[in-house]
Amino acid sequence: MSKIICSAAIRGAHKIVERAESKYQEAMEKWGPDQELGFPNTAYYLPIIYGISGIAVKKLSDVKQVLERCRSLLPAQVDEHVWLPYLAPALEAGMATFFAEEIIEAIRYIESPDFYTKTEDPSNGNLWLGAADDVILRKRGVEFVDGTAPGFAAVLGAPPTKEIAVQIAQELQEKNLYVFMGAEHEGRTMSEQLVEAGVQVGWGTRLVSFGPEYTATIFAMGFATRAAMSFGGVKPGDFKSNLLYNKDRIFAFAMPMGTVTDEWYANAAGAINWGFPTIADTPIPEVLPTGICTYEHVVSNVPHDELVTRAIEVRGLKVTVAKVPIPVSYGPAFEGERVRKDDLYLECGGGKTRAVEWATTKDMDEVEDGKIELFGPDVDDVEPGARLPLAIVAEVAGRKMQEDFEPILERQIHHFVNYAQGLMHIGQRDIAWIRMSKAAAGKGLQLKHIGDILHAKFHQDFGAIFDKVQVKLYTEEDKVNEILQKARQAYGHRDTRIEGMTDETTETFYSCTLCQSFAPNHVCIISPERTGLCGAYNWMDCKASNEINPTGPNQPVEKGECLDPKLGQWKGCNAFLYKASRQALDHYNFYTIVHDPMTTCGCCECIAAILPICNGVMTVDRDYPGMTPCGMKFTTLAGTIGGGASVPGFVGHGKYNITQRKWILGDGGIKRLVWMPKRLKEEIGDRLTKRAEEMGIPDLLDKIADETVGVTEEEILPFLEEKGHPALSMDPLLE
Amino acid sequence: MALEIPKMSYNGVIKEIPLGKEANPVIVGGETSYPFYLFEGEMPHPPKIAMEVYDAPPEEWAQAALEPFADVINDPAAWAQKCVSSYGAEMVALQLASTDPNAQDNSGEHAVEVTKKVAAAIDVPLIVLGSNNLEKDTEVLKMVAEACAEERLILGPVTEGNYKALGAASLAYHHTIAAGTPIDINQAKQLNILLGNLGVPDERIMVDPTVASLGYGLEYCYSVMERDRMAALTQEDERLQFPIVCNLAKEVWKTKEAKLTEQEAPLLGDPLKRGVLLEAMTALLLLLAGGDILIMRHPDAVQLVRGFMDDLMAN
Amino acid sequence: MALTGIQIYKLLPKTNCGECGVPTCLAFAMSLAAGKAELAACPYVSEEAKAELADAAAPPIRAVEIGTGERKLKIGGETVLFRHEKTFVNRPGIAVLVTDEMRDEAVGGRLERFKTLAYERVGLTLQADLVAVKSASGDASKFGALTAKVKDETEAGIILMTEDVSVMEAGRKACGDRKPLMYAANKENADGMSALSKEHGCPLAVKGNGLDEVSELTTKLTEEGLHDLVIDSGARGIRKALEDQIFIRRGALLKKYKPLGFPTIAFPCEMTDDLMQESLIASMFVAKYGGIIVLSDLQGYALFPLLLSRMDIYTDPQRPMATSPGVYEVGGPNEDSPVLVTCNFSLTYFIVSGEVEASRVPAWLVVVDTEGLSVLTAWAAGKFVGDLVGTSLKKCGIMDKVGHKKVIIPGYAAAISGDLEDELGDWEVLVGPRESAHIPAYLKEWQP
Repeated sequence: MSKIICSAAIRGAHKIVERAESKYQEAMEKWGPDQELGFPNTAYYLPIIYGISGIAVKKLSDVKQVLERCRSLLPAQVDEHVWLPYLAPALEAGMATFFAEEIIEAIRYIESPDFYTKTEDPSNGNLWLGAADDVILRKRGVEFVDGTAPGFAAVLGAPPTKEIAVQIAQELQEKNLYVFMGAEHEGRTMSEQLVEAGVQVGWGTRLVSFGPEYTATIFAMGFATRAAMSFGGVKPGDFKSNLLYNKDRIFAFAMPMGTVTDEWYANAAGAINWGFPTIADTPIPEVLPTGICTYEHVVSNVPHDELVTRAIEVRGLKVTVAKVPIPVSYGPAFEGERVRKDDLYLECGGGKTRAVEWATTKDMDEVEDGKIELFGPDVDDVEPGARLPLAIVAEVAGRKMQEDFEPILERQIHHFVNYAQGLMHIGQRDIAWIRMSKAAAGKGLQLKHIGDILHAKFHQDFGAIFDKVQVKLYTEEDKVNEILQKARQAYGHRDTRIEGMTDETTETFYSCTLCQSFAPNHVCIISPERTGLCGAYNWMDCKASNEINPTGPNQPVEKGECLDPKLGQWKGCNAFLYKASRQALDHYNFYTIVHDPMTTCGCCECIAAILPICNGVMTVDRDYPGMTPCGMKFTTLAGTIGGGASVPGFVGHGKYNITQRKWILGDGGIKRLVWMPKRLKEEIGDRLTKRAEEMGIPDLLDKIADETVGVTEEEILPFLEEKGHPALSMDPLLE
Repeated sequence: MALEIPKMSYNGVIKEIPLGKEANPVIVGGETSYPFYLFEGEMPHPPKIAMEVYDAPPEEWAQAALEPFADVINDPAAWAQKCVSSYGAEMVALQLASTDPNAQDNSGEHAVEVTKKVAAAIDVPLIVLGSNNLEKDTEVLKMVAEACAEERLILGPVTEGNYKALGAASLAYHHTIAAGTPIDINQAKQLNILLGNLGVPDERIMVDPTVASLGYGLEYCYSVMERDRMAALTQEDERLQFPIVCNLAKEVWKTKEAKLTEQEAPLLGDPLKRGVLLEAMTALLLLLAGGDILIMRHPDAVQLVRGFMDDLMAN
Repeated sequence: MALTGIQIYKLLPKTNCGECGVPTCLAFAMSLAAGKAELAACPYVSEEAKAELADAAAPPIRAVEIGTGERKLKIGGETVLFRHEKTFVNRPGIAVLVTDEMRDEAVGGRLERFKTLAYERVGLTLQADLVAVKSASGDASKFGALTAKVKDETEAGIILMTEDVSVMEAGRKACGDRKPLMYAANKENADGMSALSKEHGCPLAVKGNGLDEVSELTTKLTEEGLHDLVIDSGARGIRKALEDQIFIRRGALLKKYKPLGFPTIAFPCEMTDDLMQESLIASMFVAKYGGIIVLSDLQGYALFPLLLSRMDIYTDPQRPMATSPGVYEVGGPNEDSPVLVTCNFSLTYFIVSGEVEASRVPAWLVVVDTEGLSVLTAWAAGKFVGDLVGTSLKKCGIMDKVGHKKVIIPGYAAAISGDLEDELGDWEVLVGPRESAHIPAYLKEWQP
């Protein structure tokens, strides 16, 4: 920690403790040791002292031991020539500060009983609310637990003008944060500034005017400390749990505005104990390295118009957007709706013009959350029936954001745009196609609203993986083409990266137990080279899904020791399977159809089956309704092997998986593939040929039979022989 | 040859949850074996029957269900008292059905008023159930939780959509949660994990697996409950070791067959006995699957099931 | 240990002749492995293979057949302790008791109700299966006469209840070729009953005082060549009876203990005098392993719930119950009434039709064949998509029944609205609520 800050904090703490000591002496003389002492209507005594040290201060005489504790916590004043002070002494000084301040404020309740209103809102011309009683604590604390109020900003001092005060207060309110205000700067307090500007303060508006002095900070900190005891079940005196509860759950930060005095430093240092960082508007030294707080400890010299944004970033607070702000109805009910030609107002993409969409990661300081820009004409600038090229670029930033999440966000553009009434979206990447209806345009829907949709929905559904998003839309030909080039580069980069991943070099696979409601024992384990059998989830999707929903159906599986490299069996996977199948299965293999293959649920895209006479394997996809050479249609196969069993001779898999390197490799891979429906052949033909080339049989596709050759083994065998299908000369599939 | 009967080796226990007033708690849970497999385990707290009370006079009820309560349907507090004093209800379940926006859409204030009256009228644990409308339940149950602080209610259904709001409220005001999920063991487990993460202590959580009536999908919840118990007792699935609440009566009595008169359906026989048996049989099957609290309606059905439970527990 | 499809396949002729009814030996092997086919269906299987397969396929609990013809009842053959592990296979037989000391009207009433109390539900007929004829008087001719009456007046399978071998013989004679279950052999009469059973090929129930005695008896009878046995452990207290049922099932499945590898018979009629309580006891035996459940009487109010419980518990968890597709009228709709479309998962159908009925708005409900899948699952599986739903709507005749051109689809299937409109031409597709509970509110707003 900065030496300047430490020294100042320790200096400040000494001053405050001395002040408490003299207050205590005065009070003892005036009222004697049996004088009752405490905040009104609370079961938590002086809450910081009670929560952290376990001491229940009930009478004046109880203060003595607290002050002794303060003294023992207080480090020596920092000598100019000693370079020792570090975080720890400053933190202890901060703690002593809060103890002392609680004593000062408690004595004030005896000295001037009417100093604070003891109500929820200012009353009888008195602005200062003082300590929150237990009724307020419970009512407001609920909002901290359920997330309707993620935390609070503890403001010390005041910004230069009341206009700035209003601006900051509103910004904080928009983020649903409470504003706890104390301390004055050059005679101004933010509470008074707000009142002057006609803003209503009090618990009701979340703008809480605790008190005029810096010591009022302890009302904020005491609230947090009590929340941990009341909602977190933390026992008094269990300071570690209390502080951790606050760090992990209460998104609070200190926001000093004005000259930071020694006393303010002491308070800021105290707040760091709770994991609450300081964001200052003056050029004080910064304390960036993380440790106690989630991210930085002290960030300074932030301009007033960036204070709130910066504070939110530093504390790691997530933005919530309740409603999608567009002029048409929005919801999944409109997903399937069509916009027909004669109802068309505007069309982008679909072969008539270019339309491309791209999600890309940026640095935190390059993204302004919620900023939507459109370059070129919008709906208002064109006539009904118009066509425009379109590029949608979602620029995303976040501490947890990874390049790997880009395609996941990007794919959602399809759903999210479709949810708007009067907008139709088809395709993805550079084959996107958007239509807007006349009715929607009539209601004032603009292309720019796509940006609002993405901003709101990304935050609603994927807030866990990023912090900020801004959207740029382009409708000018040359700009769109420019984006198109960049986007294509990014697609290519992504595809190579995913294709370059192997099971061998990846330690963590992901489970998927989404289907257990239908197939109780079914456990998918998804590796980079074995995409989920439903075709909907690849390894990357599962990874993201786990980030978004850590307790959900996609759990990380450490694959552990490899038990069989050929068939694909790992110790860690088996252990996971045993638990997740509720002990129904204790092992399976990833790369085989013959030997204890992976389980299959009812929703697989394709089912492969052995064809013993052909010494090979066939596969059939869900869309093919006819008979197959194994003697069963897709539906019969699904009924026979779905349900979560491991059925030798049969396995469910995704279409994409066929052309992944590991598809039944233990049995010989695609060299075994002797039959598949013609349409599927066409669908994956290019990729299959590429994979076949790797395996040294470039013309494999032509050797695979389909329903035009036959739908029984007897019918296809002559074809396979004529074409010289490699399966015929391989080792017997069944020994 | 004599047979050694294979016994299950259980390695889990259902958590014991104290309900109702602190001074006089009713405990549920604690099982160490499958339901009523008393030859290899214990049920220290036999399942309890909670009787239903409605927050507004019910509409379209079968005559058979209405008849025992005809004198109290306008007064939930009196209704609750009647359940306890005349029919020996071990708990009362207040159904806030009238708050449903698709029904009367009664306000949260109304719900609070009714809940307070009912709570004051009885000294057995009080379960308060919303109308299964996510937004409305969240609003209404939050208000109830706050207004009835320290009544130690059981609030439900608390779902994935509102667990934060209602979990926080029950933490603040000391209520217990009936965690509701749609007939899915993994979702049930996940919600229990989420509640734990929120800070709700284990002794304040129960599971509401969503149950159905006989003939209307009972088998789904029956199997989910069996699997739930299996996971909890034999597979060390700690996040499923919670007592199960079965909100069954309203499911049974809304079915067509529970409402038809004998004239309309002569083959179905006496409507009173039929309705009572539909309810009692649904309850019994759910008991055998692992139910700890049965929310029931008709006094005759309650009596039948209670008698049956006594026989199952009898030495 | 059950064999896998591949293991069975290796024992088959591998000719793909198709004579077994499925096109390939592999498909046949899969059916065998799933217990959905009989090995006898293959005309070319070798003796060797037969022996090996029969051994592997011998069920841990014997399947026993009672009666003949359409009302023939198969019980036992169960392979699991909990239905979700696979499924319970053979529904327990529900029997009604008549004795030769009952008044004629009492007997007549029971037989009449046996015949008339039948309920149609999702394509199944729910009804009682057996008549248990008990000799209370000990008089062989009386027993014979009553048995003959039961045989003449019903098609039912018959349980003959007497422990006197000569009385049993009289009853058996009166049964003709009906193949009754003889109840019961005990320690004293086992030899006589055994001979009778063997001679006429009738299944035989064994009554012991506890499971040890039962095991001794079944062991003895098995050694004498009898296989179609049914077990009564003798317990008549609820707790003990439940315990015995669990022990029998566990012994047979977990220990492969052959002496208990038979279906059971339970007597709620002997466990209480109250028909309501008797029904509850019977439902316990439905859930917990009863093979035959004997009731003192049949009354609609008690039988119907019991039959529902049996239907529910014995539904295959992996094969959802389906309602037959088509147009259903709810509340007497006319040409202005709304048209709703849903899937044929029976649960969905019940709930949706219930909510439509509750709305008091007469409506047409079109049920589309989704192979028993729920709306969302069917949609995901491509069975509730625009062209299929559209085709069903055109074919089912609903378009001639209404004057308007609007159809309401489930909210969860909103994604198909565009495709469906394409398929239906000038029809308007309305997206209904996602939850069926919101249907009444939705329908009340309906305008043709």
